[in-house]
Amino acid sequence: MTTETDTEKTTMQNGISRRGFFKYTSASIAAAAAVSAGAVFEVPSLIGPAAAATEPTGDPINIGFLGALSGPDAGWGLPGLTGNQLYIDAVNAEGGLLVGGERRPLKMYAFDDEATGSKALQGAKQLVLEKDVKFISAIGGNPADATHPFLTKKKVVYASLISTDIKPDRPYLIAGGDVTPRIDMLRPFYHRFINPHLKRWAVISQDDTIGLTSQAWEVGSALSDGWEVVYDVNYAIETTDFAPVVSAMLATNPEVVSLNLSYPTFVVQIVEQLYLQGFKGLISANYLDTESILQKVPKEYLEGATDSFPLFDDPWWGSPSWQENFMTEWNARYGPGGPEDVHREITGIDWDHVITFKVWAEGVKLAGTVDPDVVLDTLRGQDSIPTILGPGKMGGKEMWGIDNMVSPPIPINEVRDGVKRVQAVVRFEQWFDNRKDEIIKVVRDKGQMFDQR
Amino acid sequence: MDLALLIQTIANSIVAGSIYAVIAVGLAMAFGVMKMANFAHGEFFMAGAYVVYVFYALLGWPFPIAVLMAVPIVGAMGIITERLIFRPTRSNVLAGFMATAGLAFILQVLVGQAWGVGLMRSVPTPYMGAADILGAKIGWQRVLVVPVAIVMLSCLWYFLFKVKYGKALRACAQDPDTARLQGIGINKMTMLAMGISGASAGLAGALMAPIHPVTPYMGHGVILTAFIVVVMGGMESIAGAVLAAVLLGFIHTFVTTLSDAVTAQMVGVACMAIILIVRPEGLLGRVKA
Repeated sequence: MTTETDTEKTTMQNGISRRGFFKYTSASIAAAAAVSAGAVFEVPSLIGPAAAATEPTGDPINIGFLGALSGPDAGWGLPGLTGNQLYIDAVNAEGGLLVGGERRPLKMYAFDDEATGSKALQGAKQLVLEKDVKFISAIGGNPADATHPFLTKKKVVYASLISTDIKPDRPYLIAGGDVTPRIDMLRPFYHRFINPHLKRWAVISQDDTIGLTSQAWEVGSALSDGWEVVYDVNYAIETTDFAPVVSAMLATNPEVVSLNLSYPTFVVQIVEQLYLQGFKGLISANYLDTESILQKVPKEYLEGATDSFPLFDDPWWGSPSWQENFMTEWNARYGPGGPEDVHREITGIDWDHVITFKVWAEGVKLAGTVDPDVVLDTLRGQDSIPTILGPGKMGGKEMWGIDNMVSPPIPINEVRDGVKRVQAVVRFEQWFDNRKDEIIKVVRDKGQMFDQR
Repeated sequence: MDLALLIQTIANSIVAGSIYAVIAVGLAMAFGVMKMANFAHGEFFMAGAYVVYVFYALLGWPFPIAVLMAVPIVGAMGIITERLIFRPTRSNVLAGFMATAGLAFILQVLVGQAWGVGLMRSVPTPYMGAADILGAKIGWQRVLVVPVAIVMLSCLWYFLFKVKYGKALRACAQDPDTARLQGIGINKMTMLAMGISGASAGLAGALMAPIHPVTPYMGHGVILTAFIVVVMGGMESIAGAVLAAVLLGFIHTFVTTLSDAVTAQMVGVACMAIILIVRPEGLLGRVKA
């Protein structure tokens, strides 16, 4: 890890030791979100002024969080508050973000957009016009479509979890911390390398925008790696019974079943059906929530299944490490008995938002300003940007028409004895350069390039 | 579609039909007696699933006990709903509709506040593994739904046709004024109908908890299917609801296998429309005099 990461590691460790300084609050983040529906609210910090190792020397920088904090999509939003707040408190424990020689503390304001475009636009306007936020951490999708004209006009950086949101007419929209769809493109390559005798690849995901696009990139990649794609179907996002979906897929006798970007809830049901209907091949997915899946299938069945959201207690990261400390800090604060117990286990989404947030913060530090044009140009000019998954860089023009994709190394995990463990970390750019023409042709044939959607 | 897939799809259809039947009969019964649709029926289903989540997944009670707990708990919710919503709004059908729609949202928020929103609650599968039926593989948890549906519907049939209170319920459904003249307490009967309706929805949700993603919003997807089943079957006909549930189970499963779930939903609604055009009273509904 880089020196910068080590610094933050120390900070986070210090954060734990300073728990006596925490300002305990009775309101959980979820409750705050609920009572503040329709309004921007400040996310409570547990780091009191006395906890900071260095006093701030500049004005605060306001950060926005614009995502679903209630409703069915809240699972993608609420965890973002926890991870981002941990990062903010770690930065503020050093006095704030170092910008042009000043230590400027970060303060986060959140707005529940309920995954609705109109709400998101309302939230974006409140965050920008009332709170003067310089960066918005978001989930993306429809809210990104709805907010980008306003945010482009106001020049506010918007970080989406979804790379498919990147388009040339959205110069301030960045994404890519979440490694979709690059991981979906690399898994066929990984399986080809590990299991060269296998030939038949089946892939499914839901039929929303990101599912269609991500699956198109995976199919192109699988074909470029010599797989026979025997099944390539997007099931309806309204599907509640996956038995018929899996029956139809298994009728094509696949050797590897990829669930592409299937949402975690769907993945659990699909894997259960794969097990029940006797599928014996390999399972590969963007994200496997092993804890939930293992409530449905035996541990042995999931052995060797592959995904790309690593666990932060994986020995791969080393000990101590930023990842290990993040997990420790998260559990101490949001885990059982913690001051802000969220009554669930840590998930990949808790740190997913942090990746791009931290990249933007690195850009601000390097640029010495929060000016979005300078920050983004600075980031694009870097050969290496520290991310929580390792050194990354900005790219993506060939996929999305503009270099606004954060591209960290991509971990590939296999389930070992019921636990996901990193098996390899792959750099995307070189792999993609070698086969991009073939892949892009497939994506274009499926009508999923950025200029076709 | 080859033979193996055909057998698998038929097996999937039977299970789906059984699930729909268990969910829909309560809705049909409540409508039959009260002439009002309960838009919160899906949330009763959700409540049943959360009862299993709490007692089985969180507290570690045996799964069958947790399922049985859902019956009185959600049945009581049905009774309370009748007392607080349906009875005061009996003279205003629209108010009852809107009040139960509001109740649906209230239940969602309450459950979300209590156990969190976001990703699904994970309910372990109590009966792991699959039954092999003529080459079709069906999970034991799903297989379980079929006999439970049969037993539940048989008990309901026995109650309605052989037990005094059941006969009184039928009388209320057929002609409330005459039933009242015969000394049958309408309030008691509507309360009983909502109790049974809630209990059956709770039972369905409890059984489905290990299969269906358990979230505060899980009732949304269920209520549309339940209404289609009830309308197809004949709004007040429990037998019609069962027949329609089986039909819809086959339609949804076959179309999903051959196409996708959205098309399946469209075909299901189209079938409902055709049935209503050809037979406005539904499959087994009766024409009012």
